[in-house]
Amino acid sequence: MADTTEMNETAIGTQPPPAWEPRIVAFLCNWCSYAGADLAGVSRLQYPAHVRVIRVPCSGRVNPLYIVKALQLGVDGVLVSGCHPGDCHYISGNLIARRKFALLKSFLEYLGVEPGRVQFSWVSASEGNRFADLVKKISADIRKLGPARQMKKEAR
Amino acid sequence: MTLGAIKKEHLGQLVAAVGAHGGFYGPVLRDNDVCLDQVQPSDTLVLDYANFTLPPKGLFFPRSEVIATHGADGMVETPLPTGKAVLFGVRPCDAMSLTYLDKVFMEAQFADPYYRARRERTLTIALACRDPAATCFCTSVAGSPSGQGGADILAVDIGDALVLESATPAGEAFLAEYRKLLGRPSDNQVKARDAQVAQAVRKVSSIGSDGVTARLQASSESAAWEELAERCLGCGVCTFLCPTCHCFGLYDEEVGPQGRRVRAQDACVFPAFTLEASGHNPRTRQGLRMRHRVMHKFCYTAQSFGDIFCVGCGRCIVNCPANMDIRETLTEVPP
Amino acid sequence: MHDAQTKLRETAKDLLVSAKVDLVLGFQNGSLPLRTRPCFARNAADAGRLVWNRLCTNNLAVYLPRLFEKPANVRGPWTPPKVAVVAKGCDARSIMGLVKEHQVIRENVVIIAMPCQGMISLRKAEAAGASARTSKLDGDDLVAQACLECIQPSVPGANIIIDGPSRSAASDRFQRVKDFEALTAAERWQQFVAQVSKCIRCYACRQACPNCYCKTCFIDQTKPSWAGVGDDPTDLLLFHIGRVFHQAGRCVECDACVRACPVGIDLRLFTQKLVKDVEELFGYVPGTSLEEAPPLSTYRPDDSECFITDP
Repeated sequence: MADTTEMNETAIGTQPPPAWEPRIVAFLCNWCSYAGADLAGVSRLQYPAHVRVIRVPCSGRVNPLYIVKALQLGVDGVLVSGCHPGDCHYISGNLIARRKFALLKSFLEYLGVEPGRVQFSWVSASEGNRFADLVKKISADIRKLGPARQMKKEAR
Repeated sequence: MTLGAIKKEHLGQLVAAVGAHGGFYGPVLRDNDVCLDQVQPSDTLVLDYANFTLPPKGLFFPRSEVIATHGADGMVETPLPTGKAVLFGVRPCDAMSLTYLDKVFMEAQFADPYYRARRERTLTIALACRDPAATCFCTSVAGSPSGQGGADILAVDIGDALVLESATPAGEAFLAEYRKLLGRPSDNQVKARDAQVAQAVRKVSSIGSDGVTARLQASSESAAWEELAERCLGCGVCTFLCPTCHCFGLYDEEVGPQGRRVRAQDACVFPAFTLEASGHNPRTRQGLRMRHRVMHKFCYTAQSFGDIFCVGCGRCIVNCPANMDIRETLTEVPP
Repeated sequence: MHDAQTKLRETAKDLLVSAKVDLVLGFQNGSLPLRTRPCFARNAADAGRLVWNRLCTNNLAVYLPRLFEKPANVRGPWTPPKVAVVAKGCDARSIMGLVKEHQVIRENVVIIAMPCQGMISLRKAEAAGASARTSKLDGDDLVAQACLECIQPSVPGANIIIDGPSRSAASDRFQRVKDFEALTAAERWQQFVAQVSKCIRCYACRQACPNCYCKTCFIDQTKPSWAGVGDDPTDLLLFHIGRVFHQAGRCVECDACVRACPVGIDLRLFTQKLVKDVEELFGYVPGTSLEEAPPLSTYRPDDSECFITDP
């Protein structure tokens, strides 16, 4: 019983547990950033256990609505990460995504979404350290912002 | 029938007196627009408006509402609203629309508990029109700028005061209860009211809609529907702003650990309205959808409820982005 | 203005009588004061009903994608129609965009370029009251904000040009966006939520927009669904963020969404931000040329990276 409660509380979209810890969704591209996260893991690098990874084929696959929807479902932060420019497995997927994300980040902040809730980065398959540092930074950013309330659909 | 009168400057006292016992909803300014809303102490009632953009149906049959939630405690139904409310300032056409919605939601085989609870707790004071808009055609659809249908009390603006007349026992009781604020009108005030009522009705133009039900029925296969719908954009302005459109859907959604059952207004002008689970859609073209909407109001309800479900408020005409005009549809669609 | 109308009628009549086009999409008088309505002219008599004035507000490009779609009841080969469109600068830019997105066959469209002095805003006219309506129709007093900020009153890609007095292009059109940017994040969010909370989900903004031709809008998708059907504020936010963001690099600022909204949501304040960003970041102005690739389906190696988080 205690186990299921804990699971429910840590699943996306539930009430924050009494002691709030950030919940961050990370959309990681299969070829670079996911492998980078994997490397961080097998290298036993320590980083905050706040990210829930969703593996996508390419950062170009990330529909801006995924990000907005994640915020509506109640996550405290969203990270999107793909291959460094020039390294895309599909040649230009991340370059096209870069334009889309530049607009989206600027647009969300224009609307008044707290800066820092949605972040973008590049992490290659060999950058386990960079991934760990990135998560540390974003975790700290989100912790400073506190639980996300703006877009979250609340149960009544 | 009981009469009452109140100076306009004393309306605030009435709002306060009624507000002490329940909600008072009336015409107030919100974001530079006159709309029906719960009157707050900081509000002043507005009395010079043609009509509200949104019809009053939303107070009884909201755009959407959560009717039940389900979670660890099982299903919990949303409690019905309680307490008294007064709705002041609806135009007679909109008051009339409530009687039509009553037929659907209260008098048909299955009553809608949410609608009924809201209707039964509300006393409606309609405000007769002084200057009907050019798009008004209430007199062509069994209404009048000072009609009492659907209202418990009809108020008529005679310049510096309102003359009130009860139309139902509830209205009579209200006038008696607030007799201190609602004195009896003088003979001159009654005369002014009668003159006001007579001049307003002359300002509403007739659209020549006699025999419209039979005419439309004969037109169901006419190519005119497709031609007419050619410029229709397929938005839901006409349905959502219509005071009598009442179609809705029930949806289950998940919000975190909680399930919700939501009832939301729907619109027959949207393709998804008739989309079947198989993927088949019997109303594929906008012409068919438009025909259905018009026929529903002017034929099907006439058959099943004995009334044309149009009150002539003109909202669909004023707000249509493509200037579709129901008056033309009614008079021009050939059999 | 009246000359232009006469010439327009002659032109439309010629096009129809000589069977160069099957249909002229234009404007005719509406049933209300200060309103025109779209006119589907198919013969000389219809052409005689066409009007041209400062009330020809609708963006007629919205009707084009469905005209170039093979009707469901037609079996076998089908010839798409030839259509002439009475176009202002913004309308023609929409057509360009639709051609680029393969919704409209360029060769089948005749763009009739009209002289545009800016269109009357019904809201401004209503606010000004009845007396102002007739006396102020000529100046800029009642002209829609979008028209005052129009950068291209002249018509790109015109096939037929009808001359007349036309307004000159505005220089700085992003003042409102800049003012909004200057507010604090909390103020901006509060205003955005206040605007969006008025939404009744009639989707008039979407239906009036030439760019919104998707067969099934994301908000109508059910397997899975993106948002609830009700008026939960977050569902309204999701719809409007999604709809406006889909306009990125495509919006031509024709103001059709703003005009169509029955509850007066200031949609332009939000769409215009994307217009500004697309122009500043990618140097792209939608609908001005057929050659330039849409900004979100291309890239430059040196595109801005300033939004990237480095640990």
